[in-house]
Amino acid sequence: MQNLRRLAVLPIAMLILAACQSGTSGESGDPTAEPSASHDMESMAPSDGGGANISNLVCVGEATTYLDWLEGDLELAEADPIEEPADSDDDLLDTIMERGEIVVSTDPNYAPQSFLEPDGSFVGFDIDVATEIANRLGVDIRFETPEWDAITAGSWSERWDISVGSMTITEDRKGILSFTQPYYYTPAQVAVSERSGITSLEDLPFDLPEGAEATTLPTDANCAESIQAGRSEFDVWISSSTTVEGAIEAGSPVIAVGDPVFGEPLAVAIDKSGPPHDELLYEIDRIIGEMHEDGTLTSLSEEWFDGLDLTKVADAN
Amino acid sequence: MATASTTGDARPILDQIATTDRRRRISWRLWFSATWVALVGSLLFALWITGNIQLDFIAEWSPFILQGTTTTIILSVVSMVLATILALIGAVSRLSSNPVINGAASLYVSLVRGTPLLIQIFFIFFALPQLGIVLPALPAGIIALGFNYGAYMTEIFRAGIQAVAPGQREAAEALGMPERLVMRRVVLPQAVRIVIPAIGNDFVAMIKDSALVSTIAVQELLWRARSAGTQEFRTLEALLIAALAYWVLTIIFSFFQERLERRMARGDR
Repeated sequence: MQNLRRLAVLPIAMLILAACQSGTSGESGDPTAEPSASHDMESMAPSDGGGANISNLVCVGEATTYLDWLEGDLELAEADPIEEPADSDDDLLDTIMERGEIVVSTDPNYAPQSFLEPDGSFVGFDIDVATEIANRLGVDIRFETPEWDAITAGSWSERWDISVGSMTITEDRKGILSFTQPYYYTPAQVAVSERSGITSLEDLPFDLPEGAEATTLPTDANCAESIQAGRSEFDVWISSSTTVEGAIEAGSPVIAVGDPVFGEPLAVAIDKSGPPHDELLYEIDRIIGEMHEDGTLTSLSEEWFDGLDLTKVADAN
Repeated sequence: MATASTTGDARPILDQIATTDRRRRISWRLWFSATWVALVGSLLFALWITGNIQLDFIAEWSPFILQGTTTTIILSVVSMVLATILALIGAVSRLSSNPVINGAASLYVSLVRGTPLLIQIFFIFFALPQLGIVLPALPAGIIALGFNYGAYMTEIFRAGIQAVAPGQREAAEALGMPERLVMRRVVLPQAVRIVIPAIGNDFVAMIKDSALVSTIAVQELLWRARSAGTQEFRTLEALLIAALAYWVLTIIFSFFQERLERRMARGDR
């Protein structure tokens, strides 16, 4: 019994410790202050905001054009012209029509293009575009959520039919994927953490992209998540302007700096290693053309991107 | 007379001992539970103070994350059934005198135990399609987990079978039982009792390892926690919810496992 009493001091000591913690964080006067870890980070950062201690690591999503751009081998491309194909019976389009359902890959974590609702359903610009394509094909829609690099790598093994995932058309990707015409264009945006004190591209202690070193996380939003969590490996992040805006709106401590570094044409993709899909590609390309003309894409863009119409060719670059 | 008075005097003392004993046990349990409550409480309190916890996120997203529990349970239970079947076949084969059967079973165990579970999951989901076998995420995860745990459990079952006293087998054979019947009616029932604790351990481990299949987009607990947490920039809360769900699952399972073990141990008396 006596031993047990002595042991009981342990939890009490922990409580006191926790109370002390609350005392120190109470000094900042703001109960919603940043996690305590970031206090250390702030004290380490130069107070004049000169950015001398900023590492040259730049965070980008895996298998993204931002990574290619940083590494100097981004080759943006235009979609190949699509001609009306001869009618065949074994096209992917026939399979989809028979099945009455089109399976679309999407990233569950790419607001405002595609993200989760608490009930588990997906919403966003890409989701609405995909749903509209399915409607105009006259089929139901189902979403799959593979990792982004599994989508850009091709070899989908028919697990999903098409990608409506804001994929940039590049020369490399064209080798393994077929692209429709772009359904919208986003500018690539540089963002920095608030704690870095940087407010313009000129403040960066290195040149983009030459002086930077890329570090990747599975998807773009993970970069903002990492900064938010107080990790200090990097302070610079490149993603689409829409994703950066989305992160800022969600309260992530980052700011956008400088003009967009390049513009990206984003299109629907189909796996070339899959079954023949000339008819499906032609049909979806035609539907996208139609959606451009009748203003559907413009109104969806304005709805999801704060009134911006991103469906015309980006001016950046 | 002397004996009567002795028992007469002893009874209250014995009663007293029993009461103090009971009291001590109750007090021990009280202190034990109080320690848990205090430690968990102070841990949560410390998190609450330092972690900038957002209750809104927890209220809004915990139903979504916790729905993954069903998938996690299905995943673990079905994988466990598959693993048990594989392990039974594997164990009997490992003890076989036929070099081909024995060799095949040994290779299975060596191969699976010698490679990371994560590679096996990726292999079944991403690499098999190159050979023309395309499995949806959930079956791929179940097969990977079942296949992996089957190998570990093969060794457990083999040890269990070998632990059955040789006299049991000899006696059954002396009665003229054919070899298969000896295995099924005499050896295996006793072996199962021996391996139950180890299998229970493996099942607890399986519940937690099932988190690995979040990498192939099975919407179980961890996948849902990561998706919701990353999107809303509330990683700490999301991971906390998922971790608590795994913890509660293993606590519930361990409770039943303990009861089962106690039941199975009766035969040892």
